[in-house]
Amino acid sequence: MSDNSDEKLESMLRARLQEAASPELAARSILTARGITQKQNVSFWQLVRDLCAEFHLTKPAYVLAGALALGIVVGFNTPGDSPGVQDSNVSNAQGFLSADEELL
Amino acid sequence: MATAWPDKDDHALLEFIQNGSHEAFAELVRRHTERSYRIAYRFVQSKESAEDVVQDAFLKLWEEPAKWHGELSNKFTTWFYRVVANLCLDRLKRKRTVELDEEMPLADERPTADELMMRAEAQSILEKEIAALPERQRMALNLCFDAGLSNQEAADVMGLKLKALQSLIMRAKTTLKERMKANL
Repeated sequence: MSDNSDEKLESMLRARLQEAASPELAARSILTARGITQKQNVSFWQLVRDLCAEFHLTKPAYVLAGALALGIVVGFNTPGDSPGVQDSNVSNAQGFLSADEELL
Repeated sequence: MATAWPDKDDHALLEFIQNGSHEAFAELVRRHTERSYRIAYRFVQSKESAEDVVQDAFLKLWEEPAKWHGELSNKFTTWFYRVVANLCLDRLKRKRTVELDEEMPLADERPTADELMMRAEAQSILEKEIAALPERQRMALNLCFDAGLSNQEAADVMGLKLKALQSLIMRAKTTLKERMKANL
């Protein structure tokens, strides 16, 4: 009984119907591909070069943009909590004032 | 000298495709469209969707042939059928409800022949029950019974060991037998 139902299920699984594909399916894929340009693997430098070519900038503009980028990088890498020149001036002034108060 | 495309194996064709050969691409498409369609059809259950999936898969391959790494996977078909299956799953996720029964063409629609009607009905129930199976069990059945892949090929496509695939098929069949008692 079990063997019989096994066989029947197998035959039903193999007999499953499906609509046939359109005969021109392959041709359609081939034709569509003709209108699509392939994406090639580009290196990082190639990407940068393409980007520069895209903007058509003069050489001084690149120097300026480079300096700006460098400034941003340096700015972000400088620790924000380090005491600056202004901070030290303020603390000096405060020390001087408190010394005056002591005299009074 | 003209290149004899049909003589070239898939890997050779893919190398030409990576160099922009439309002829090699055409040969590969002609070679694998039918089986890819059969796989896709079982997932999406509609001719139009299955054709779209197959076309998308081939166009993706054409657009970015570098995505195929011959050295990483042994067979092109293993990789490509996985692409097709994944596209189908994406499509199904987008459109959760799969139209089955009413639109399904039945094996034989002659209303006078009782036996044929019953068989067609059983087939229709089978489709519904297969659609209700867990995704991986359904995929295993589809690859083995419809796409005509060997168990080993199906296991490769699904990224499983042979034993795991056999276990999936066994569980799927057990569930189907249980649910279709009346029709078997």
